[in-house]
Amino acid sequence: MLSLLEELMLLILDDEDGSFAPVPEYSLDFATAGAVLMDLAFENRIDTDLDKLFIVNPAPVGNSLLDPTLVLINQHAGEEGIKFWIRKVSANASELKDLALKRLVSRGILKEVDKRFFWLLQERRYPVIDDRLEREVKLRIMGVLFDDGIPDVRDIAIISLAYACGVFGNLLSARELKNAVPRIQQLRRMDLIGRGISGAIRDIEATITLSMRGMM
Amino acid sequence: MEITTTTENGAVFAAVSGRVDGSNAKQFEDGLMAGVGEDSQALVLDLAELSYISSAGLRAILLTAKNLGKRNSKFLICSLNPAVAEIFSISGFDRIITIMKTRDEARASLS
Repeated sequence: MLSLLEELMLLILDDEDGSFAPVPEYSLDFATAGAVLMDLAFENRIDTDLDKLFIVNPAPVGNSLLDPTLVLINQHAGEEGIKFWIRKVSANASELKDLALKRLVSRGILKEVDKRFFWLLQERRYPVIDDRLEREVKLRIMGVLFDDGIPDVRDIAIISLAYACGVFGNLLSARELKNAVPRIQQLRRMDLIGRGISGAIRDIEATITLSMRGMM
Repeated sequence: MEITTTTENGAVFAAVSGRVDGSNAKQFEDGLMAGVGEDSQALVLDLAELSYISSAGLRAILLTAKNLGKRNSKFLICSLNPAVAEIFSISGFDRIITIMKTRDEARASLS
């Protein structure tokens, strides 16, 4: 089974050219942090409520994507809220995304390609070479969005992450998206870490708006 | 955390007291499913004495609801105290799972 962060990487990569969907960097960084925290919660290492995030079991999971964050949380004495940890872990988002992409390459799902522009600039891209797992993730998302049944907890999590990165516009037609919005809104509330990601994004956007008003 | 189950007309009523969090969520989920027999038509979770529930506890409830749905058994929650009702409302669980104000209302909805 892929981690939530690996699943998120598959959702935001363009299958053909392997470039990232145009997602604000802060949104992707917060979603990256959230994906790791959600997987730690599913592994029963951490737990959350409306006020705080706390350790349940400090034992390593044995997963290089998750264990450094578990150590970080375990070293912190205070009882901080989810948004605090989204921001704190997002400082390591670049390393976490790189590791997730490398794992997908080593599993034969993506390939790593260095693309040159004008012989000078270089950009690393990750085209898909085996799309079975990506199709499975998309099918799971569609199944939950267009069914009123009780959702699976991991499906709620990936929907929260996809929403934070604004990728539903790439996954659904305009008509499908319009029909799915109420269900997306319903599901994304259900995961408290997902709510923390949205809160952290709102805070950043409010700060940007305020600073732009100050410049006018 | 303690679960006390009784059966009425094919429906299992499970009264939960104490706290449910990551330290006992699996035990909570297993305890609920253990109380529901193959022929049970419904599970009513009475949370009047539940003082605290974390995300792990909410996930356990969702998993229980999903498992019961596969068996075509009904799943209801009743008697939420204000603190627990707040977390159900904020997380939107009250829109996914049927919640009754009292055990009597839950009982009436099953008949």
